[in-house]
Parts: sequence; C-alpha cells; structure tokens
Amino acid sequence: MIRRLVAFALLTGLAACGKLIPPAPTPEQALILRPADSRVAGLYAESCMACHALPASGAPLIHDRKAWDPRWKQGEAVLLDHTIQGFRAMPAGGQCATCAPDDFKAIIRFMAGREDSAT
Amino acid sequence: MKVSRRGALLAGGLGLGAAAGGGYLAATHDKPEPVSPASTNAQGHLLWRNWSGVQHAYPAARLAPKDEAELGLAMKTALAPIRPVGAGHSFTGLATTNGTLLSLDAMSGVIGWEGDAAIVRAGTRLGALGPALAERGRAMANLPDINKQSLAGALGTATHGTGATLQAMHGDVTGLRLVTSEGRVIDCDADREPEIFQAARVSLGALGVITQVRLRTTANRRLERHVWVESFEDSLAQAEARWAKHRNFEFYAVPFTGLAANISHDETDKPALARGPDQDSAFLDALKGLRNLLGFATPLRKAAAHALLSSAEPETAIDEGWKLLSTERPVRFNEMEFHLPAEVQLKALAEVVATIEKHRPDVFFPIEVRRIAPDDAWLSPFQGEPRGSIAVHTHYKDEFAFLYTLIEPIFRRYGGRPHWGKLHSVQGDQLAALYPRWKDFLKVRAELDPRGRMLNPYLKGLFGV
Repeated sequence: MIRRLVAFALLTGLAACGKLIPPAPTPEQALILRPADSRVAGLYAESCMACHALPASGAPLIHDRKAWDPRWKQGEAVLLDHTIQGFRAMPAGGQCATCAPDDFKAIIRFMAGREDSAT
Repeated sequence: MKVSRRGALLAGGLGLGAAAGGGYLAATHDKPEPVSPASTNAQGHLLWRNWSGVQHAYPAARLAPKDEAELGLAMKTALAPIRPVGAGHSFTGLATTNGTLLSLDAMSGVIGWEGDAAIVRAGTRLGALGPALAERGRAMANLPDINKQSLAGALGTATHGTGATLQAMHGDVTGLRLVTSEGRVIDCDADREPEIFQAARVSLGALGVITQVRLRTTANRRLERHVWVESFEDSLAQAEARWAKHRNFEFYAVPFTGLAANISHDETDKPALARGPDQDSAFLDALKGLRNLLGFATPLRKAAAHALLSSAEPETAIDEGWKLLSTERPVRFNEMEFHLPAEVQLKALAEVVATIEKHRPDVFFPIEVRRIAPDDAWLSPFQGEPRGSIAVHTHYKDEFAFLYTLIEPIFRRYGGRPHWGKLHSVQGDQLAALYPRWKDFLKVRAELDPRGRMLNPYLKGLFGV
C-alpha cells in the first residue's frame, strides 16, 4: 500500500512538473515523420530532413526532445536567426532556398516536437 | 582505422598536452564564429548564404516552380539575374543574386525509366536519388563524397567521385531538358541538338534551367569499403597501383602528421557488414586540437600525431554503394579543388603538402586526392583525358585567402582546371586556354540567353562577357 502511495505521489509530482518527455524516434521513424502541413512537409523533405532525420549527421534528430529542449529554451527568435544565418555545423537556411521565416518557424516547431511557439 | 579507439587515444593525448600547459594555446587558436551579414537587407529581403557561409545575397524573389510551364513563364518575366540554386554547396558565387533565386525543390524525383536509364527531375537531392534508384535494383555508378546537393547543381559544376574507370556524374547523362531564359524548352542528347547537349551537360546554370535528365544507371551492387592509415610516402608510392586495382580509391594526405588515410571500394557478394558510426568529426576535432596545442612546433606536432594516429586499426564495411560512397560532413569548411593531368597529380600533391607545412601551420584538414575518368562535355574539367583532383580544405572559421596565393599557383603551374563549384580565381582567357571548346560554349550561351538574364556578376567575370 505504501509503495502504491509513493508511486502515486511520484506520478502526480511528475504531472505537476509537466508532461512526460516522449522518447526519441527510432532512425526508421525519423525518416517517416513529416510536418502536418503538406507544403511545409515538402519544404522539410527537400532540405532539413537530409540532416535532421539522420542520426549520423550529428544534427539534432527530429522529435528528440532531449536534444531539442535546450535549444527550444533559447526562444524562437534565436532559433530563427541561427537558421537564417547558419550556426556551427548548421548551414544557412538549412539548405532550403525558398523557405520564408514563417516556414522556418513551422519546421523548427515540428523538428523540436512542439506544437506551441518557443518562449 | 578504428576511429573510436583513435578518438580515445587522441582525447587522452590531448588531455595530457593541455594539462602540461597547452590550454592557453588551445584557447587562443579556437576562433569565434565569422561575422555574419544582416538577416535582411534595407529592402527587407531575406539573407541567402551558401553552405560554408562565404557567399551571400539578398534575392528580391525566390521561386520554386512546380512544372516546366510555370518555370517557362518565370524565366521570361522574373527579375534578373535569375540564378538556379540547389543545396547551396558551391563555394563560388554561382548562385548569388539580388534578382531571382530559383529552386527546383518542387521538381524532384524519378519520374520514369527508359530501359535501365532513369528519367530524373533535376531538383532531386543526391541523398534521395540513391534509395529511389535502389527500389528498381539500380544505382549511380559513382557518387561524390557529399550527397546533399541537388542533381542539377552537381551536374552543373561537374561534381565527381573517384575511380580511374569512373566518370564524373555528368558522364552518365545521356539526355536532358533545358528551359531557357526566353522560355524555350529544349530536349537534347547526342542526336538531337548535340551542340547544346555537349554544352549543357556541364553548364554552371548559365544556359537556362535543366529540369530533367536521362541518367544511365548500373546494377545496385554491394561494395566492400576499406579504410586504413599508413605513411604519406607509402600512399604516394602505391596510389597509381591502387587506382588501377580498385573500383574506387582515394586518399587523404594529413598535413603535419606524415600520414595518409586511404579508402577503397570494390564490388562484392559478401553479406552486409555495418559501417558503424561516423567518427570523422571526432577525427577533425583531434587534428584541430593538435594544431591548437602544437601548431607552434611542427616537429613536435608531427611526432605527437604519428604516435597517436599511426597505429590506428583498419576499418571495413560492406553495403550497397549508394550507402557507402557518400559520407556525412557535419563540420563546415571552405575548399579549393583543381583537376590536374593524371601524370603530374602526385608531384603537385607533394608540393602542396610541403608548401602548407612550410607556410601554414594553421591548416589541419586532410587533403583529398582522387582520380576521375575522362569524358567529352565541353566544360568538363575531365574533358579529353583522365584527371587527378587535389582538394585543400580549411575550417569555416579559418582564414582561406592563402588558397589563392599559395595553392592555386601550384595547381595552375601543373595545368590544373578548377572545380566549378569550389574556390578559384581563374577567368576568361585563362579558362579559354584550358578548354578547347570554351568559345563554342560561349557562343551557345549567347544564343540561348541573348539578354544575359542568367548572368550574375560572378558569371560575367568568369565568362569574360
């Protein structure tokens, strides 16, 4: 009984802290995942996906919250700027020549496994 | 080359070096991010930069037509200069424009077959082409060592792999469709509009926009990949025999180490053997660490590198060729590559390595050495004879002007032709002296783009027009 109470307390405590972080996708799953918007999905598939769906590339894998959450905390403006300018291994524009800033934001949200805007 | 073990050795060795007082040097040699241009210009146009970050522009318009009708209309009406762009992997100003940047990202995929020849839309990224061809049991005969580029971009710059009997990618193009700046759609091959075909196979995106190609393919065979480290002298001595022996062979001369990393691929029926995680980035970090710690004393740096790297174990992998021939390149760099007559390639290489070790202790990237079979495209650097390529890289944060002042003169003295997508300063009459059909190409260009709508300042300088 005590064990059950402790487990319940732990679970409710975790719930109070926030949602459980989902596990990272497998490499096979990463290759299949796409943004919901078909136009954005097309942009993603022709550019960002070439690195962010391949673990060997060294880029943070899509929907890998452990990799993305520290980046997400920097805020949308910083992530967008890094995307447009290029940053460290990340080439400018993620090699998407026709992405507008709103497209980049949508793709970042998708890759970071977030529905809400970064704050 | 058992990279994980090597990485551990290097990490340990460098840690000892830092503990011995090298940390100060490490700090002073790690450079900050290069200064970035503004994200938008005064007109509010969004920044475009190439992969390495050395080229940039603020296109007034960005277009991604979905078909040739849409493209043809755009070609006639869009603000010039119209510059097609793929992944932006070229280091030169080929794609820069403050007019219209035109992407073929919406025109991609394998759309049909003529026997074993694939009809491929030119916006297809090379990384997507491999699995698409493999679905039918086919493959490109060869691939470059990076596969992020678009097919049109790779063909337009004569992008290549390595192998004495294997041509650059455009060697497998047997037909293509071109949409000109006047909106004209031209289908050409060796029989139909042969002059345009020979000009367009390698054409820097200057004749119009290539929308699709007919691509010769080969059976999708498994390859056995070997990677091993040995002395640079041994690699030089054995290189010709290895190009004759192996389907694909290349080596990387590692300056300030006295060593070279060799890579061969040969067809096999053996079962697949996993390649293992790519450790190139860790290797480069280790070389950078050696530069940072011991760059002030070349003999010491060579001794340390030799002690840490020369005992590296060989590495073997077996898989389908499209999975092995290209690798990830997560560390950005700038690059100059020239294609030299095969008989002087290794002599020139020895001179390049000696020059770097004498004058540029800041260089740590390995120098890539490949061999390419000849073809007959007018602007192919491999036109008429086999060529040996030498590629010198610098980390994207490092100064690279020395490539023009120290390295390019060596390449040019040996009759080298520049890679069209990599850093060089060769122009106009200098190029005419290297390419027998140069003037013929310029004539076709003037006929297909009479108003010069495809010409940006970089191309005007290159062509001398």
